[in-house]
Amino acid sequence: MKKNSGLKKLAPYVWMLPSMILMAVMILVPIVTVFQMSMSQITKAGVIKGFNGGANFKAVFASNTFWHTLQNTLVWTVVVVGFSTVIGFIVAMVLNQNFRGRKIVRAIVVFPWATSLIIQSVIWKYIINADYGSLNVILMKLGIIKSAVNWTPGANAYFAWECWIGIFVTVPFVTFCVLSGLQSIDDTYYEAAEIDGAGFWRKLFEITLPLIRQSLTVSTVLNIIYVFNSFPIIWTITKGDPADRTHTLATYLYKLSFYSGRSGQAAAVSVIGFVILCFCAGIYMILSLRAEKEDQ
Amino acid sequence: MKKNKKELIKKIALYLFVIVLCVVILYPYFVMFTTAAKDRSEMYALEMTVLPLKWKWSNFIEIWSAAPVLRYFLNSVFVAGGATCVAILCGIPAAYAMSRMQFKGKTVFLGLVIMSQMFAPVVLLVGIYKLMTTLKMVNNLVGLILLNAAFNQAFAIWLLRGTFLTISPEMEQAAKIDGCGMVGALVRVLLPMAAPGIVTTLIFVFINSWNEYTMALTLMSTDTLKPITVGINVFYGFNMIQWQYLFATSLFATVPVIILFLCIEKHLVAGLTSGGVKG
Repeated sequence: MKKNSGLKKLAPYVWMLPSMILMAVMILVPIVTVFQMSMSQITKAGVIKGFNGGANFKAVFASNTFWHTLQNTLVWTVVVVGFSTVIGFIVAMVLNQNFRGRKIVRAIVVFPWATSLIIQSVIWKYIINADYGSLNVILMKLGIIKSAVNWTPGANAYFAWECWIGIFVTVPFVTFCVLSGLQSIDDTYYEAAEIDGAGFWRKLFEITLPLIRQSLTVSTVLNIIYVFNSFPIIWTITKGDPADRTHTLATYLYKLSFYSGRSGQAAAVSVIGFVILCFCAGIYMILSLRAEKEDQ
Repeated sequence: MKKNKKELIKKIALYLFVIVLCVVILYPYFVMFTTAAKDRSEMYALEMTVLPLKWKWSNFIEIWSAAPVLRYFLNSVFVAGGATCVAILCGIPAAYAMSRMQFKGKTVFLGLVIMSQMFAPVVLLVGIYKLMTTLKMVNNLVGLILLNAAFNQAFAIWLLRGTFLTISPEMEQAAKIDGCGMVGALVRVLLPMAAPGIVTTLIFVFINSWNEYTMALTLMSTDTLKPITVGINVFYGFNMIQWQYLFATSLFATVPVIILFLCIEKHLVAGLTSGGVKG
């Protein structure tokens, strides 16, 4: 009898064992390795040569490219997540209306979410090409521009296009998260508010936003993580060039490790990335805890 | 009368917005489709066209012999299918324990699962490459399967647990009284009832692994082992880009995934935004 209850206590852990082993080996081990490598000297062949203090971090912090990359990463995350959230919210409000063809539009909005980022990026690379790109051809046929425009004259222009593609592929996720929130709101709230004479904006701020806070938080937090770590868009469009001006941390560490053979510094950049994300996660936890207290 | 006019303006604005939205979203797909059907000579002609002058449907056949495209597709099917199986087989028991059993550290485990999403493959790439070198799994499809399965565990557990929580445990208890063991109750009672949620999870993990690019790019340098997301780069050589083949192949890689995604979209969003964090 006693033995049985001991087994019973162990049972949940046994059920979780396969999943935990898989994640421990494939995720936890690389995390530990990255931290170890960030503080070790590593040969070009990738052999870990032992502790070298903060030399990797020092080298990273001493590089101008790193600081520019860090700035890019923040701009990239804030711009892409910010615009996507606002646009995605508006699209969700529209899709929540009744109109003919709503189902088709809903299906179309799914497209960018379901398409591989690499394919989406390659198409946009073709579209904005100055010599034969589709955007120039269409605008010229429509008579909007007279001659071909160079859409990517410099690093900033490239970066702006990369942000646009980022927004383009992120909006659907926000839209559907918000939409699921909107559809759970009881119509009687709005009816009551209308009787009180509340206009569009008051209904938006006093009914809609508070009630969909949960879905909006989930989509924003997940998007911050995805966008911060996003790799394929920038890698496809510019590979961080011209002159390393369009990197984010993700592409920068990839280049450091797999092009320049500086795995130690790449690991240091990874660790810096973790710290920033953990900091964001911390803020999120504090905010949501405070919100929960207010609710009580 | 005045109200009618206001309604009408609102309606027109709504349709205008929707039309612009659809045009913008469909534009890249329109470009992909029309370019895929162009002849190569049209791509660099002096007089550029929007639609192909002559629809060259044979592009869609030529790609299969121009490069080992079929191989890439089979690799993608193998990796995505394998990752889905592993992710579900590990995820179901874990989600079952987290939705049906009380045990010490449950919240901690759930927290860890959610935290694991913060570590995207890119940020861990240096460590992943090192691990795969140690395991001798660089250029190994099984290695890619295990990685994809692991990075999809969080979502799989999250979605499955959410589904299990919506199903009352009474049926399983009844089955247990009838002499079913724990495993029997899970397989015969819970899983059939949770089928919609399980299918959603299956398809979602499949699509994620199918579309995965970063790990495959880093680990798969042998041409015959590349999945399609990495393989399409063959049409993107340094001296000449075969846009028409690139896009024709991309269409084959995109359309089935979009159709699959449309099937699960409703279940997926409900699962992602609820159930996970609290409980």
